[in-house]
Amino acid sequence: MNSHDVTVLGYLAVLLAGVILQLLATRTRAPIPPLGKVLAWAMNTRTRRIGMLVAWAWVGLHFFAR
Amino acid sequence: MLVNHPSTTGGPSAEEGAGTGQNGAPLPTVRTGPRRVATALTGLREPIVVILFIIAFLTWISGKPLDGVLMLVVAVSLTWDAARRSRRGNPGEGPPAAGPAAGEAASATGTISDEAASSTGTISEAASATGPGVQQAGRAAEQDAPTAGARHQRWRPALAWLAGAALYVLVVGSFIRYSWPATVAIIGLGAAVVVTGWRGARRSRPATGRLPATGLALWGAVLVAGGLWELAALLQQPNLATGSYAHPTISTLTDPVLSTWAGRSIVLAGWLGLGWFLVER
Repeated sequence: MNSHDVTVLGYLAVLLAGVILQLLATRTRAPIPPLGKVLAWAMNTRTRRIGMLVAWAWVGLHFFAR
Repeated sequence: MLVNHPSTTGGPSAEEGAGTGQNGAPLPTVRTGPRRVATALTGLREPIVVILFIIAFLTWISGKPLDGVLMLVVAVSLTWDAARRSRRGNPGEGPPAAGPAAGEAASATGTISDEAASSTGTISEAASATGPGVQQAGRAAEQDAPTAGARHQRWRPALAWLAGAALYVLVVGSFIRYSWPATVAIIGLGAAVVVTGWRGARRSRPATGRLPATGLALWGAVLVAGGLWELAALLQQPNLATGSYAHPTISTLTDPVLSTWAGRSIVLAGWLGLGWFLVER
């Protein structure tokens, strides 16, 4: 296993952790809110709302715009 | 581009000096230098503002000055907005108001009701001119007609948005990455969404309330872990603008996918879907 594989495995581990949290939130009574509720909470104020939307716009800019 | 709309800001700015309040009472003058600096620093107390300034700086030095400038514009606008609200003790930091969307929804409902009323009226007249069996059928139609009409009215804009999104995805997906057409299309949509978000939520929703701190911490930990892992890969590249096979960032890993029209279109569809989800929150 080389460093490339280790790096990719790291990303997959983070993704897997997110999936597990979402499953725990929706399938069990664990005190974990689903991601949708977290995002809704994160957008409760104008500053955070703009921050989230700008982060979304930045992703598009990063991958497609010069 | 990202300047606050007058209707949402209202009132004179600090630079305009003292004006009069709603009851004719004079507003405090904030022309003094130290006071102005303190006001600006109040805006900088928002963590998101600081994060945006950092993103702007890092984006700039990693060879994407246009992105950096756009982030800087938003960060400065948010600083100004947060400072202004703080100075006025404005409760604008609460849950965003429904804004004009609520009025639009109300007017749309009114239109639906009017149309339904006029159509049921016609059905009633036709039914009264015929026998009781037909009258029964007419009454059933009266009950069904508004529902069908409302459903039709509800789906029409959704289908129009869906068609527009599909067209956007296919057309912009056909543009080469980092080309000017792609840049203009992405910046145009991104700016429109941010401006829309600045005006408040599209519709009112029940308050989220307090979320369990443990759950929030866990989600935060996943986000931070992902960010740090990406940062570690980024810092192990030959330089910030050159990708590394040994330590690939997410951008490097997605390059093969985004080199094809289909790949770009699929990623753009996901990006649009996420944006729609956020705008609807």
